[in-house]
Amino acid sequence: MTATDWITAVLMPAGALFTLIGTIGLVRLPTLLGRLHAAAKPDTVGLLLILVGAAFQLPNISAAAPLLLVALFQFTTIPVLAQTLGRVTYSRGESSAERMVVDELADAVRHAERDGDDETLGDPPGTDAPGRQYGQRQQRPRAQ
Amino acid sequence: MSAVGDRDHRTTYRRLLGRLPTVVWLTVMWALLWGDLSPGTLLAGAGVASLCYAAARLPHLPVRLRVRPLYVTRLAARIGWDLLWSSLQVAFRILWRPAEVRGAIVAVPMRTDSDLLLAMVTAGLSLVTGSLVIELNREQGVVYVHGIPIDSPRAAQNLRRRVRHTEELFVRAFGTAEDVARFEAAEEEFAELLRASPAPGGGHVGKEGA
Repeated sequence: MTATDWITAVLMPAGALFTLIGTIGLVRLPTLLGRLHAAAKPDTVGLLLILVGAAFQLPNISAAAPLLLVALFQFTTIPVLAQTLGRVTYSRGESSAERMVVDELADAVRHAERDGDDETLGDPPGTDAPGRQYGQRQQRPRAQ
Repeated sequence: MSAVGDRDHRTTYRRLLGRLPTVVWLTVMWALLWGDLSPGTLLAGAGVASLCYAAARLPHLPVRLRVRPLYVTRLAARIGWDLLWSSLQVAFRILWRPAEVRGAIVAVPMRTDSDLLLAMVTAGLSLVTGSLVIELNREQGVVYVHGIPIDSPRAAQNLRRRVRHTEELFVRAFGTAEDVARFEAAEEEFAELLRASPAPGGGHVGKEGA
């Protein structure tokens, strides 16, 4: 085995391991947002490691170009996917507030809603009207 | 400012010049996909790219960036390190007591007001394991970032600091001189606010709860 073989032999299993752990996280993490993290991110690292490992086995540098493109597309698509899904998750009320240390977005939404109520309906301040903007979200317990 | 007036002012020549970077980029991708750099391939790529451009009728976006190689290197190193380190952290927590993993959503006021830079910052943050931009309040310039694993208010504070640091690197790497100046002015303003009312834990003001 040459040096490049050794590098490949280390990087590829490491990449596969990251991907495997990401998939395990998909099953074992308790919240939807957590699963989103697990599904999207360790996979990126895993894929990168596998690509670099593969690159060391190529005969010349130009053959590595497609690998570069794969990495590029992964880097550009993952944020879009994660952001879209994260936003939908939150606005559907699936974000599991009891498993969060702080949720400042909920605070902001509450503030916005209260201000809106004051203007339009004249509700007494402090009347929480969750679910005006964010649809079906149930009454969320405050995380401490 | 109207798009129509804009178009009248810009001559055909300048419009084509504005398209050039995108066409070149598409051509490079075409060549990479074919895996050969012969003139025929490049010509065909340029043709296909121009055709796609004409068919898609892409809007003209004013891209005003200035690249500072030193900061770009620092930014790349930072993102690479964050990606690897937080992947390790998340991987560890997935294997060790995953049922107890908790997260947090923190509100981080952004100090830059450039659309392009904000888009870059949010994409950069969402790329890194363990942070995910849930919502961007464009009007107030606040991003809401979900982080994992976060077990204590101190860890949430850490996440906040990381987000601010990433933002700073992006602005310094790609912002125009004007962007950087505005960023620094906003930072000064924040520091002033913080000195005036040192919130406990240096945290978010106005979370007295309902």
